[in-house]
This record gives sequence, C-alpha cells and structure tokens, in this order.
Amino acid sequence: MKVFWRILDFIVAGIFIYAGVLKVLDPVQFGLDIDNYKILPWFIGVRLGFYLPWLEIFCGVALVFRVVYHGGLSILTALSLIFIGATVAAKVRGLDITCGCFGHASQHWNFGQHMTIDLAIFFALGALLWIELTGGRLDDKES
Amino acid sequence: MLRAVRQGLLLLALAALPAIGQAFYLRNKVSWESPIPASELVAVDQARAWGDSAIWIDARPDDEFARDHVPGAFSLNEDHWNELLAQFLPNWSPDKKVVVYCSAESCNAARDVAKRLRDEAQLKDVFVLQGGWEEWVKKNR
Repeated sequence: MKVFWRILDFIVAGIFIYAGVLKVLDPVQFGLDIDNYKILPWFIGVRLGFYLPWLEIFCGVALVFRVVYHGGLSILTALSLIFIGATVAAKVRGLDITCGCFGHASQHWNFGQHMTIDLAIFFALGALLWIELTGGRLDDKES
Repeated sequence: MLRAVRQGLLLLALAALPAIGQAFYLRNKVSWESPIPASELVAVDQARAWGDSAIWIDARPDDEFARDHVPGAFSLNEDHWNELLAQFLPNWSPDKKVVVYCSAESCNAARDVAKRLRDEAQLKDVFVLQGGWEEWVKKNR
C-alpha cells in the first residue's frame, strides 16, 4: 500500500511541477488568467502570476523528495481549494474564463473539465493528507 | 500541525526568491499597473480620428455583434477564431491600425484578441479601445 501512496505523491507532484513550469514560462499570461477571475486587482494578480508557479514547483518537489512534505502538501491542498472556489465563483458570476491552470493547454477547457481536473487533484491531495495525518502510510522517513 | 505550518512558511519564502528574481529580470517588459499597457490602449476620440486608416474589430460574442456594432467593424472572437480570422485578414494591410473592442472597460475579450493578433497573426499597431463598446456608444449616440 505504501507504494500506492508514493505513486500518488509522484502523480500529484508531477501535475503541479508541470503546471508550474508551463506558467513560469509566461508569468504575465498567468497574471492575465488570474485577472480574468475579477477577484483581485491587477497589481496583485500580476505579482501572483510570478509567484504561484514557483510555489507550485517547490511544493511539487517537496512531495517528490518528501522534504518539508507536510508543508508542501498543505499548501497544495489549500491552493487546490482556492482554485476550485474561484472557478465556481466565476461560473456563478457568469464569467467565461480560462483557468490558466496548465497554460495554453487548458485554454479551451470548459467548466466541467476544469472542475473534474480540480476535484480529482483535490481529492488526491486530501487522501495524501489524510493518510499522513492518520499515520496510515507508516513511513519512517518523514522530514 | 506546527510542523506543517513551519514547513509551509519555509516553502512560501523559498518560492518568493526565484519569483522576485524573475520579476526583476522582466521588470521592464511587464505592465505592473494595468493589464493593458498604456501604449496599447486608444481612446474613442483618437481611434475615430484615425478614420479610414483604422480597422475595427469586435471581440464580443456573435449575438452581441449581430445586435449592433461599430460601423464597418469585423467580428473576431475566440469562439470562432480561425474562421473569423480568415475573413478578417484579407481586409488588413500593414498601414492600417487595428482597434479591438469588447463590451466594456472590465471585459477581457479585446485584450485577449489583441494579444493573439500580435502573437499569432504577427500584426503590428493593434490597440484596445478604452472603455470598449460601452464607451463608443456613449460618445456616438
């Protein structure tokens, strides 16, 4: 079972590292994607456009190497929850937006596709967090 | 719990380092105060003063374009990008200025279409109309 959780670590980490790298290559575009949600003013959105991709990469790496693992897992879970909340809020307000989660790759995703991916990631993170908190993984190499 | 908070703070701080470095490196290429740099915006009066040397692009959805639009404007939205772009391009020439608008100041479609025209179609002199359709109606009706 330990192998299963470790594989899940790698999958989730890979998704966030991939998403982070795509966005690091064009932080202004990601800033524009954040701006599309009409939640934050531009001067914050553009700064988050530079910051969040790096945060995703660092947290992904933390999951891969199990270094500062709990911190990485907690941040990614919180980020995932925020993405879901923002996507739902945008939908409720009738905004036709691209999430920008995976750069241009996600440009033409519809709401259902956004939510499916976001929820899948969120539940995977939740499962990893749960198994850590309950000690189910029985891994003695925690940082 | 405390460990997670400590580790989280460490990650938050670490991620800031390359982000600040990248932002510093690109500081002159980023519009920090507005999503559209002032040099890419044009006011209604100025765009109208360009007369025939301006081509108007309506980036709103098809139904809004069908209801009303700037006289002579071409519809070019991201829903039917390839098809509408093919209709628009034969009407463009390098000496023309392209003015893109969407519904209002707060909409993003004009900005996105203008960006794609610059990046994908390699057009120069592409501007976003300040205040969009709403402003144009105010000044013209």
